[in-house]
Amino acid sequence: MLKKILVGFLAGLISGFFTAGGGLILVPAFVYILKMDEKTSRATSILCILPMVIVTAIFYNNSHFINWDIALKCALGGVIGAILGTKLLKKIPDKYLKITFIIFLLYAGVNLIIK
Amino acid sequence: MIEIVLSIISGVISGLGMGGGTVLILFLSIFLGMDQHVAQATNLVFFIPTAIASSIINIKNKNVNFKVSIVIIIFGVIGSIIGAIVSTKLDVYLLKKIFGAFIIVIALIQLYLWYIRYIKNKNRNNKNIKT
Repeated sequence: MLKKILVGFLAGLISGFFTAGGGLILVPAFVYILKMDEKTSRATSILCILPMVIVTAIFYNNSHFINWDIALKCALGGVIGAILGTKLLKKIPDKYLKITFIIFLLYAGVNLIIK
Repeated sequence: MIEIVLSIISGVISGLGMGGGTVLILFLSIFLGMDQHVAQATNLVFFIPTAIASSIINIKNKNVNFKVSIVIIIFGVIGSIIGAIVSTKLDVYLLKKIFGAFIIVIALIQLYLWYIRYIKNKNRNNKNIKT
């Protein structure tokens, strides 16, 4: 129970602070700490993050950070991308895609700190 | 138009379970020169419809663990209120630097998980085949 509380609180803290990355905390925590299978972990993580994101969105909206015109276009793109993603999921070799993504993240992270 | 393209790419990455939101924030700040706070806010709206749609499908397919969800949601919401209050008040320059450090940490975690899945486990499987 304490593990779940800590995992949830940490994921919420990160989700609220960065508005992203909650899933990247929850999925490995579910798989490696709570010993859930990967499919359930992913599905459960999305449902768990949803209320955290809605609450965070209220705070960001109150601080006038949401540009609704761009945000709604991105929401539309996100739906299209997610549908494409699930179709592509079986065809793309995960291994190389993931390492490309990791290198991009490292590069972008260093850039953000240096600049 | 460019924001739709960027969000489609991020949506695909989300579907692969690799942190589409993180990528969208980076894209918006790199390609559209968006302020860190505004980019993060856009990501929130980006996430909601996809998450609702996939949660409906996941619940129908009985892939959701509700017992775990309840605890995570209660303490997650408390955490996110604290996180959101702090980040919305934070200086934009500082937030950008912290975000940079955060994605490096995320990348290193992902690199470790990648190593376990594709290198370590592959070697173990190979050994099993040989013996």
